[in-house]
Amino acid sequence: MLLAKAALGLGSTLVLAGAYTMREGVIRIDVDEYHSGGSHVHLWVPAAAVPMAMHFVPSKQMRCASEQARQALPILHAIVKELKKYPDTEFVELDDNDQHVRVRTHGDKLQVDIDAPDQKVHVLCPLSTIEDVTSQLEERAPGA
Amino acid sequence: MSDHNKGFLARITLIAAAALVVSPLGVVAQSTPAPASPSQSTTSVSKDRWLHVRVISSDAKGETVRVNVPLELAEKVLPAINKDRLHAGKVKIDDAHVNDVDLRALVDAIRTSKDGEFVTVQSNDCDVRVAKLNNHLIIHVLDKQNSKKSEVEVKVPMKVVDALFSAGKDELDLVAALHALSAQGDTELVSVKDHENTVRVWLDSKNVMD
Repeated sequence: MLLAKAALGLGSTLVLAGAYTMREGVIRIDVDEYHSGGSHVHLWVPAAAVPMAMHFVPSKQMRCASEQARQALPILHAIVKELKKYPDTEFVELDDNDQHVRVRTHGDKLQVDIDAPDQKVHVLCPLSTIEDVTSQLEERAPGA
Repeated sequence: MSDHNKGFLARITLIAAAALVVSPLGVVAQSTPAPASPSQSTTSVSKDRWLHVRVISSDAKGETVRVNVPLELAEKVLPAINKDRLHAGKVKIDDAHVNDVDLRALVDAIRTSKDGEFVTVQSNDCDVRVAKLNNHLIIHVLDKQNSKKSEVEVKVPMKVVDALFSAGKDELDLVAALHALSAQGDTELVSVKDHENTVRVWLDSKNVMD
C-alpha cells in the first residue's frame, strides 16, 4: 500500500515536471562539419530548461553577457515579438550552386537552416524561449 | 485496502508512468521540423503588406537571394535600432545637404510641381531621367559605359517621399516612410538590371516569394 502511494506520488510529480519542462517544446541544434576533425553536434534541449538554467548562472557572468548584448537586446526583443505574428513564413532564402541558407518561422519556432558542402547547421528554437532569454538578460543588465 | 482499490492504484501508477514516458515524445514529434521545401511557404493574402527583395545573379554560381519582410515588422523593429546615425527610426543627415543640394527644398519643389520630366540627361555614357508621374517620383538611369549596359529604375510614391522628409530638420523618418508605404497598393519600387544581376524590390500583400 505504501509503495503504491509512493509510486503514485512519484509518477504524478514526474508527469507534471515532464509536462512543465516540455511545454514549450525543444530547442534543436544539429551541426555537422564535413572535414577532418569536424564536429558533429546533435542537441535536443527542453526549451523551458534554458530560462530556468539561466537563474543559476552567477550574477557576474550574467551582467557581463548583458553588457555585451546590450545593443542587440531591444532589437532582438522587438523582432521576436513581431515574428510571433508570422508563423510558417519564409523571411530569407539564399541559394547558389553550393549553399542553401534559409531563415523562417515554423509555427512558433525560429528555424535556421544552412546547407553547405563543408557543413550543415540546422537550428530550431521556440520564439518564446528567445524572448525569455532576452528578457532575463535585460533584467539583469547593469543599471536595470 | 481492498484488492479492488489496490488494482485501481496500480493501474493509475502504470498510466502515470506511461504518460511520463510518452509526453516528451509527443512534444518532440511536434517539434520536428518539416523537410525544407520552398513550395511549403504559405500564401496568405491579408491586410499585411510585405516588402520583397529578390536578387538573381546569372554568373557561374547562380546566386539567388530572396528577402521577405512584413512592413509592420520593419516599422516595429526600426525604432529599436540605435546605431550611428539611425535613432528611433530616423536617420540623421548633415544639414539636409548632400553634395551642396538642399534635399528638403528639392522635395518641396517636386511636391508642388505638376507631373512632368525634371531632369533628362542623355550622353554616350549614360541616360538619366527624373520625373514625376501620377504622384510617383521616377528615377531612371541607363548606364551605357562598357559593352555591359545596366539599368536602374526607382519608382517611389510621393506620399512616401513626403513621409520620409516629415521629421525634423536634418532627419529622414524611415518609420513614417514605411507607414506611408504600407498604405500603397502593390507596386514595384526598385528594379536594377545589368549583365550579371537582376534586383527587384516590390511591395504586395503576399508572404510568399515568387
